Amino acid sequence: MTYSIHYFDGKSSKKHAGDLTLHANFWCIEYTDSQNKKIKILWNTKEIIPSEVYSEGIISFKYGTFPFQTIESNDENLINYIQESNSFTKVQNRFDSLLHKSRIKTIFLLCLFIVSFAVFTFTYIIPKVSEFFITNLSKEYVTHFGNSVFNSLSVGLDIDQDKTEKLQNFTDALKINCSFPIKIHVATNNQINAFAVSGGKIVIYSGLLEKLETEAQLAALISHEITHIEKRHALKNVSRNLSGMIFLSILIGDVSGITAVFFENAYLFKELSYSRELEKEADINGIEILKKNQLDLNGMPQLFTILKNETNFEITSYLSNHPALDERIEYTTSIAKTYKTTPKTNSALKGKWKAIQSTFKN
Amino acid sequence: MEIISGEPTPTKREFNYFGKGSEFAIIFFKNILLNLVTLGIYYPWAKVEQLKYFYQVTELNGVRFNFTGTGKEVFKGYLKIYAFFIIFISFLLYSTTISGNETLTIIAFVTFYALLLLLIPFAIHGSIRYRSSRSSWSGIHFKYTGIRMEMFRLCLKGFLLTIITFGIYGSWLNVSIRKYILTHIKFGNITFDFKGKGDELFWIHLKFGLLFYITLGIYTFWYLENIFKFYVENIKMYQNEKEVKFKVNASSGGIFSLVIVNLLLIVFTLGLATPWTVIRTYKFILENSVIDGELDLNSIEQLGGDDYDDASGDDFLDFLDLDLL
Repeated sequence: MTYSIHYFDGKSSKKHAGDLTLHANFWCIEYTDSQNKKIKILWNTKEIIPSEVYSEGIISFKYGTFPFQTIESNDENLINYIQESNSFTKVQNRFDSLLHKSRIKTIFLLCLFIVSFAVFTFTYIIPKVSEFFITNLSKEYVTHFGNSVFNSLSVGLDIDQDKTEKLQNFTDALKINCSFPIKIHVATNNQINAFAVSGGKIVIYSGLLEKLETEAQLAALISHEITHIEKRHALKNVSRNLSGMIFLSILIGDVSGITAVFFENAYLFKELSYSRELEKEADINGIEILKKNQLDLNGMPQLFTILKNETNFEITSYLSNHPALDERIEYTTSIAKTYKTTPKTNSALKGKWKAIQSTFKN
Repeated sequence: MEIISGEPTPTKREFNYFGKGSEFAIIFFKNILLNLVTLGIYYPWAKVEQLKYFYQVTELNGVRFNFTGTGKEVFKGYLKIYAFFIIFISFLLYSTTISGNETLTIIAFVTFYALLLLLIPFAIHGSIRYRSSRSSWSGIHFKYTGIRMEMFRLCLKGFLLTIITFGIYGSWLNVSIRKYILTHIKFGNITFDFKGKGDELFWIHLKFGLLFYITLGIYTFWYLENIFKFYVENIKMYQNEKEVKFKVNASSGGIFSLVIVNLLLIVFTLGLATPWTVIRTYKFILENSVIDGELDLNSIEQLGGDDYDDASGDDFLDFLDLDLL
């Protein structure tokens, strides 16, 4: 059986219409050249290079070394014969021709696999891997990283030495189990804000400190921030974000801008929900610290009530990296209730709290 | 002189495009899946398969184009690029977080960006040489004969002037790179040139900048038509001292329907239609480009081949998301 092909000798662009005969060990190409001479060329099957990409109605092969001899054919008989024959497995692309048999079904299945794999990676593999990585990071590295972050942040902070010292005394008197040494800083700033930096640094703005009414509220604030430090929340967040972004960039590397925007926004939503999870963890663990210090557990919901009264606007929960304050008040109140503890007066803490309060009266 | 075929040489040649959205979608989604499962290691093979597909479905004078590069070549290129980036990024991380030394941080950043910029001309050179070497039609390979240091000097001068002129020189730089590349590409006895001028390109961009807001963005379609025509119609081919032109038949209306339909397809399928829009775009470009002039395509002789298998320049541009076309 012969098949019609076009042959190119790799020396000239001249297209030679010819015939191809297939044998198990060699292929035979025959054509008549411009001087009416019959030319016969043999290709050793072991050295034939297929085009390695499927497109309907065309098949092509290369042979030899650069710049190669080439044959090209749109002969359906040849295309079908090569794909189905058992003698030419090396030049076949059975997997691809299988994929192209029923295109809609294949596309549907491929998309299904992509979605399931991506969902599995995002919800299971990435959280597990980044959690494992951060938990096993050495304490020294976490402290070092935190210190360099704090050094660049502290440039813009106006630290109040007196308040800082008194607040540090208060913190030192709290019973906490933290593997990092806690260093508190009070920054003069009217904003209602506080944050923790990996490795043990906490910054509280004087604007927020001034609004607090009891030692339990202050302890609630500090225990919330300490939980962020102890549980390495900032690093967990960064690590998850980074690995998520890398995976996402593999996923959307080849797709157009608009599609990328869809994926990036979906991912951002997921990230925000993770940040809210971490905040909630810090709230709940903070109550545990209050309990250990026999302080009023309602200090936590009271703290959020103060925040709520002092901030003018509220972002809807799913658009924010913190849970909505009403939500936080609700769940901390209900947790505080379940413990049914009666707070005792912790005179050491009370005295230190009074000392802090006195700094605002001057 | 011997006349090889009895038929007269046609004066107009059109491209035939056989790409199909559903066919490309299989390649596209298959590659996304393989990239995900291998965490991106498969990317070089995916890139080569897509290039091979785009070439194989494009036909001129009854013969398909051929991309003869391999995933292995592209992969080796990526290993070099990644080695470079890993070394540099670790240096950057070290200087910013561990050392805490500000001078070192500044030096690290400046060196990093300067080096990235200075490597671009070498990457352009490598990329064009690799792609030319791996592109063939009728068994004849393209050949790029540009000289690396010439491209470097051209870009260095261009980058500096672009910075000094706040970007204005960018149009002239774009044109001079194009001209340098095209005048150094050979396809057998066919040579190329680019006749566009920097001021024409600058004017196209300027008009776009001025009219975009006034026309609420509608001018974009005329702009795309102008750019398409500028880049394609200014390419000239020469064979046996005869000039052959490229003509573009696309109208702004055609571009309008291409862009709007692509946009709607992407938005309403949440991006699933991306492969179909890619094929629509290539089809539009190729079916609207015509080779105008006498071109003897039957007797092109292969020049001493340039078997250039180093894809790192091409990979570098891909890594930075710079596309030459």
